[in-house]
Amino acid sequence: MIISLLKRALMMSTPLLFGSIAEVIAERSGMMVTAIEGIFLMGAWGGFVGTYLTGSAFIGILAAILSGLVAAAVYGVVCIYLKQHQVVTGTAINVLAAGICTYLQRVLFGVPTAPLKISPLPEIAIPVLSKIPVMGPVFFQQNILTYVVYLLIPASYFLLFKTSFGLTIRSTGENPEAVDVAGINVNAVRFFTVLLAGVMGGIAGAFYSVGYLGMFTTNIIGGRGWIAFAICFLGNWNPKGAVLGTVVFGLTEAIAIYMQSVGGGSYFPNELFIALPYLLTIILTVSRRNFNVPAKLGVAYSKEN
Amino acid sequence: MNTKVRDLIVTNAAAIIAGLLLSGLMLLLLHINPVEVFVYSINTMFSDKYTMGEVFLKATPLIFTALAFAFTFKANLFNIGAQGQFYMGSIAAIALSLQLDGKVPTAVLLILVCLTAALAGGLMGALIGFLKARFKANEFLVSMMSTYVALAVMNYLLRTFLKESKGEYPQTDAISRSAWLPVIVKGTRLHIGFVLAVLAAVGIWVLLYKTPLGYRIRAVGSNASASRMSGIDSNKIFVAAFFISGALAGAAGFTEVNGVQHMLIQDFNSGVGSAGLGIAILANANPIGIIFASLLFGALNVMGNLMGRMPGVNVPASIVDLMQGFVMLFVIISYFFRHYLENRREKRRLQKGA
Repeated sequence: MIISLLKRALMMSTPLLFGSIAEVIAERSGMMVTAIEGIFLMGAWGGFVGTYLTGSAFIGILAAILSGLVAAAVYGVVCIYLKQHQVVTGTAINVLAAGICTYLQRVLFGVPTAPLKISPLPEIAIPVLSKIPVMGPVFFQQNILTYVVYLLIPASYFLLFKTSFGLTIRSTGENPEAVDVAGINVNAVRFFTVLLAGVMGGIAGAFYSVGYLGMFTTNIIGGRGWIAFAICFLGNWNPKGAVLGTVVFGLTEAIAIYMQSVGGGSYFPNELFIALPYLLTIILTVSRRNFNVPAKLGVAYSKEN
Repeated sequence: MNTKVRDLIVTNAAAIIAGLLLSGLMLLLLHINPVEVFVYSINTMFSDKYTMGEVFLKATPLIFTALAFAFTFKANLFNIGAQGQFYMGSIAAIALSLQLDGKVPTAVLLILVCLTAALAGGLMGALIGFLKARFKANEFLVSMMSTYVALAVMNYLLRTFLKESKGEYPQTDAISRSAWLPVIVKGTRLHIGFVLAVLAAVGIWVLLYKTPLGYRIRAVGSNASASRMSGIDSNKIFVAAFFISGALAGAAGFTEVNGVQHMLIQDFNSGVGSAGLGIAILANANPIGIIFASLLFGALNVMGNLMGRMPGVNVPASIVDLMQGFVMLFVIISYFFRHYLENRREKRRLQKGA
């Protein structure tokens, strides 16, 4: 039972890790990707459509990446090159993404009498490793996206802190003038990190539709993008912190689902469990003090000032 | 006419038209003639008194939630949680209305309910401001998360204490006619809440630009460290700004419950928060501009509904989100062009001077 709970926690953590690590990289370069909720939704929709139409989950995930990229590109152009407000632009894109996904879903499939289904990504048991007691079934009997995340965590840490490009990304968020003087295009770096967030956020969205539920609904994301956004803050703009934050969330969500399934509702209202991750964010935001906010987070760069 | 005002009108109009054009093109995907649909919906809207009333009706809560966002925005704070404060106001409004229903005169009831709803939203807002002031918590995150918590609280209450006496659906009993906001135009549903919203917008404008508190709020917003040097306690400003912001969103709950729904249901007006934000942007956070921008969003909403009901064609309801999303995005882009136009004019003026 503990095993299935932990396994579930890790599964629910996968998209949050994709999203929060994407957010960490982008925010380190100075870009708050407030469009993350919309990017998740576009990914979930693109993934579903791609898989449904071709029957191939691989093509579905490619479609999810493409959909996430489109949302991120619009966000990037408006915020970076047209220098508009990041919070405000993100909100517009989130509303628009909801409209576009719902509308195009209708264009493609009309009003189906029964919900359209695709088969969710299969669990892949890694030979040998999955036989380890407790750890095996938890960590090594997951779907492919979870395994990608295992690689993503060290890769993103390495990128940010051990490569010169990572240094450039971090400098772009702290002191864009210096980066500019060094002959590096500040806006190009930022646009790159936003597009990367589009790719990773798109995959995160696809996790919900293609990876887990096997269907698409308009409220499939339901604030999970914002949770990834919050985890980036709580994790102090570091992939390691993001992992820690995500584990806490994944556990909360798994416990909530577990409590509901064993009838915890008779002692506590179900709504308490639903609200738990959000309450937890508030509590953690309040309790953490010394944040290491990138100095130019949310500030558009222009050479004149 | 002042060139700045002209720029504002021209660029905003262009943005709105571009947004509608793009939404119209999307209709082609469903093999629907957009011209026909738009002409039909605009014609019906302007020729039918009831439908015109609906535009003002839909604009009413949006004025409040847009003011809520704009007010904290002036202090360079982000209240993304207007939706949650709206829910709190709605819960307070329905709970008190059901209690007082038939026991006190209508006017007394409405005033009490209005104040309570505003207080409920305001306290929710003040809590966010307090967390920001006391713990330096990020108000953007806290306010956003608070909406989901408020939603859970509302769903819980609808299932338990506030559940209808028939006990069938997760919704409250309906309030009797004596607790309704009076209708101001016969033959429509338009109630006095719209007047209240306009008064609130004017009041907020006065508060921001003609009072010491408003001055302090704007001072903290434009330069926090300079205002601290001049002795403004920014912590107090955080709490005050968030209280007023939340109270505005809470008041929207009052106008929606007592003016339109007359009960509380699940998934109640789930878009007023984000639409309010969009409207505040459209109006450049100007309280008077918000009235007009809200009417535009109200009109888009009504047009979307009319399109859906147009005989012979089948326009999906999501067209409303699509229109609002595109209009918001293009308005944001139009800020860039306005800035560009202004710069070019300034450059020419300087060149001439030289």
